[in-house]
Amino acid sequence: MAGLELQHIEKTFGRTRVLHDVSFEVDDGKFIVLLGPSGCGKSTLLRIIAGLEPQTRGSVSFGGQCVDDVPPPDRDVAMVFQHYALYPHLTVRENLAFGLKMRREPKPVIEARIAETAALLEIHDLLDRKPKELSGGQQQRVAMGRAIVRKPKLFLFDEPLSNLDARLRASMRVELKKLHQRLGTTMVYVTHDQSEAMTLGHAIVVMNHGKIQQIGRPEQIYHEPANPFVAGFIGNPPMNLFEGSYRLDQRQLEFLVGDLTFGFPFQAHELIGADTGTATLGVRPEDVTFGPQGPGHVAITGTIDLVENLGNDSIVHMMVKGESLMARTSFGFRQHAGESITIYVKNFHLFINDNRIPLPSP
Amino acid sequence: MIHRPVLLGGILLAVLGSLCPFLWFVLTSFKSQIQVEAIPPTWWPDGSLVFYASALFEHRLLHYVRNSVTVAGGTTVIALVVATPAAYALARLRLPGKTWILGGLLCVAMFPPIVIAGPVWQILERLGGLNTHWGLVLPYVSLTLPLAVWILTTFFHELPVELEEAARIDGCTTWQALYKIMLPLAAPGLFTAAILTFIYAWNEFFFALLILTNPERQTLPVGIALFQGEFIMPWGEIAAASVIATLPLIILVLLFQRGIIDGLSSGAVKK
Repeated sequence: MAGLELQHIEKTFGRTRVLHDVSFEVDDGKFIVLLGPSGCGKSTLLRIIAGLEPQTRGSVSFGGQCVDDVPPPDRDVAMVFQHYALYPHLTVRENLAFGLKMRREPKPVIEARIAETAALLEIHDLLDRKPKELSGGQQQRVAMGRAIVRKPKLFLFDEPLSNLDARLRASMRVELKKLHQRLGTTMVYVTHDQSEAMTLGHAIVVMNHGKIQQIGRPEQIYHEPANPFVAGFIGNPPMNLFEGSYRLDQRQLEFLVGDLTFGFPFQAHELIGADTGTATLGVRPEDVTFGPQGPGHVAITGTIDLVENLGNDSIVHMMVKGESLMARTSFGFRQHAGESITIYVKNFHLFINDNRIPLPSP
Repeated sequence: MIHRPVLLGGILLAVLGSLCPFLWFVLTSFKSQIQVEAIPPTWWPDGSLVFYASALFEHRLLHYVRNSVTVAGGTTVIALVVATPAAYALARLRLPGKTWILGGLLCVAMFPPIVIAGPVWQILERLGGLNTHWGLVLPYVSLTLPLAVWILTTFFHELPVELEEAARIDGCTTWQALYKIMLPLAAPGLFTAAILTFIYAWNEFFFALLILTNPERQTLPVGIALFQGEFIMPWGEIAAASVIATLPLIILVLLFQRGIIDGLSSGAVKK
């Protein structure tokens, strides 16, 4: 059963259209991540799901039921905000109790739920404090608690970890994942952080300029990006993308950028309309070895520009006939800037007219 | 860098300058009739309470205090009840021409009262509001509303929208979100608006003189001004009455000092 279904959602503010025909479904109990750069419309979409913002067109359903005319108090969703939005004049206990009181739960039930939530998030020592007496991480837990305590149908998270420092963010990420496994409630999570998206989501919806770019499992998004945007957005360091042109003949598909030419054995002519045109070629920095050359690997020779040492691995920036390229190496890389180097590319991504062309694996 | 003594001198001058007339009145109120009329003037009073007794009992001062409390209290309550939802709407809703509404309010607040005196009197006469307390409260409310709306709008504006949205998702209607979450947080702004409104209504003289000709209804400033008889000017009684009239304001301001300072300086620094 679909826990959440969006059909042809469109949103305009004045003359600006921020969402274009957004449709997707989330199975009950799944964790879905809306991922995209800031301003891509992902937060607006979340607010539409919550009912805080009306959509211009399209409809939202929970569990098969259309909720377009249901105001936020009656949608039975809980939301964790980026800046937590804890009620500053209430104690942690009162913050947790607020939603339950508004729904007229009996007192013993409220007490029990607060105790349960406090134990789950280990915040029982904080219950009588005011939000301003808490650290950022503690406020974050309380904000999470305020959502959990209600036992809603659907959880909505709006970049909940973006205000924490890197270390706390990583540990909260793990806790959030455990929490979802424990509660089994449908969750929609908005972030611009790809590592959060990759670790948390059953599925990722990649968005840009108010449009869905790709929906898929994290590994699918990583290994088979649908277009150059997704390819460049996912992965750290980002995928090397070369803008060039292609030429198609009977035997192969040739990609040309500057003085470089790459040939691929490729027969599916019906996939590509014209015999020539512009194309984008992508190489993940981690799809590169420094030797020895394996079967099907393509050798590229260039000069080292810079070596970034990251501890357990290094990122080598190199120039190849006027094009810059990044490659990831394992620990113990010994060459320096200015030296000549040959790398072997294991895997290419090719995009023509913004669409992925499935290359035969070498 | 300014030297410390210069700075201190400046502060002293400012404080003395603004306090001087008031101090003189306080001193006068504790003098006897002979001291008040002495030439050259005596500085230090002998601590007589005759003028206080006379102001309170012969001039029925408490009766004016009661009228003033009614009018100023009524003005404050009504102004806040009207200003709060107005300010909330101005701070939150996407209203077309919002800046114009706020600018217009500010302009109205700048009008000299004399400009609207004639129309106000005529309207009240038609409505039968002359010589009534509500007849005075009505123009007071419209005169204090712009300031109250401005103060509260600034306040609501600074409260994060997320809080209100969190309340909505937690199950509040818009009104519940306003009085359960937003109003408690805007308390310093409410205090500031309330006290400034109260002070205005408490001190206002011109409209009170115009609208209330019946001594039974008159407020403190008018009452005190009309202490004077045909041939005598009862300086001592006026001084004593003025001190009594000012005391409630001083007490109010001292009590809510923190809140008022927070209210007036909000937004100056990031919290």
